[in-house]
Amino acid sequence: MNEQALITDAQNGNLDAFNTLVLHYQDSVFNTALRILGDEDQAADASQEAFISAFKNISSFRGGSFKAWLMRTVTNACYDELRRKKRRPTTPLEPDNDDGDEMDSPRWLADPNMTPAQQAEADEVEHAIQHCLDNLPLEFKTVVVMADIQGMDYTEVAVAIRVPLGTIKSRLARARLRLRECLQGFAELLPASYRLDEGGALSASK
Amino acid sequence: MNQRDLELLSAYLDGQLTPSDSARLESRINSEWELASALDDLRAARTLLRKLPKRRAPRNFTLTRKIVGQNPPLPRAYPAFRFATVVATLLFFFTFGLNALAPQLAQATSFGMGGGAPEAPELFSAAPAVTEPPALAQAAATEAPLEAASDLAPQGTALPPSEESARVMDTPAAKSEAVGNADELNQTEIQNEAPRPAPIIPSVWLTVFAIIAILGAIFMAAMRRSSADRWK
Repeated sequence: MNEQALITDAQNGNLDAFNTLVLHYQDSVFNTALRILGDEDQAADASQEAFISAFKNISSFRGGSFKAWLMRTVTNACYDELRRKKRRPTTPLEPDNDDGDEMDSPRWLADPNMTPAQQAEADEVEHAIQHCLDNLPLEFKTVVVMADIQGMDYTEVAVAIRVPLGTIKSRLARARLRLRECLQGFAELLPASYRLDEGGALSASK
Repeated sequence: MNQRDLELLSAYLDGQLTPSDSARLESRINSEWELASALDDLRAARTLLRKLPKRRAPRNFTLTRKIVGQNPPLPRAYPAFRFATVVATLLFFFTFGLNALAPQLAQATSFGMGGGAPEAPELFSAAPAVTEPPALAQAAATEAPLEAASDLAPQGTALPPSEESARVMDTPAAKSEAVGNADELNQTEIQNEAPRPAPIIPSVWLTVFAIIAILGAIFMAAMRRSSADRWK
């Protein structure tokens, strides 16, 4: 995929070229929105809004990392979604399990290649991490999602959320420390391979 | 350990420090257990975050032209057709309006040349509806002498209405009045039969403008339709 050529075509109004970029980045955009908002429906709405806004404003893209530029758009869409949520709070409809109880971690998007045990393990980890992410202040959460979940470098994150590099470093360090403290509370719930040992090192990483 | 140390450890973990800063921090980590422990905490948190399963987008977020409000590109000739249609339509209505006002304009011009006020009644006599007032006046005029005549007639010798009116008509005053009324009626008829003034702009232009406007509208609709079809 020649990204620069597609961007140029999209800037000239070529919707097909832009849609090729959408297909390439939609998983990243959706995951970012999902981790910031913590709700799949809202994340899907924010992702769609972000792509619409990106197409309308693509002429303002002046080079550099397109992913960072796109992430700025999705971050803004998430902030709008959060503001809307604050004005009109809603009760999410969780799917029921076999016993008729609400499932904490929806599984309808589960990876079909995983065994049920692996899926359950992944769900537990995801639930614990998402819970800790939701407890972070929004500006910390945004930075940690981009840097650690999306794997963006500091410069890209700084471009995406328009703050100085030093602020990114500071927010990221504090967010990681808070997450570590929060996740220690889930030590017993986490499967053995994900458990944090006494010394702070992750068993799975050894 | 302060906030600055925490930031250094986090940046060190991501390889964001310069080689000299890294070397300096490594020597401190080896000597200070607190820094080593904090580094492990940060690394553990980062590893967990990286292990977070990646979700696939629940649907494709590709955009349609309808979503982004894009219209199909129109041919280059389209603005010219639009301009011609608008101008022809405006000219059509202007011409139509001007020709509709032609009789009034013509009369206004004749007032200006003939002295106006004395001829004012003639202006109204042109329209059939306004011929009624003279007729009513005539009836009123006829009734007044009739009453006077009936007063002169001997009491108890009531005559039939037709004979009465015949008698009234025999009086010289009534005769002269009747002649005057007949002249007025004749004048009104003559004016009614007079040819309408010619339109200011020949009616052929009206037809031309109407045809241009209609054809322009048809061509524009066809262009839009063909552009929309090609767009699909």
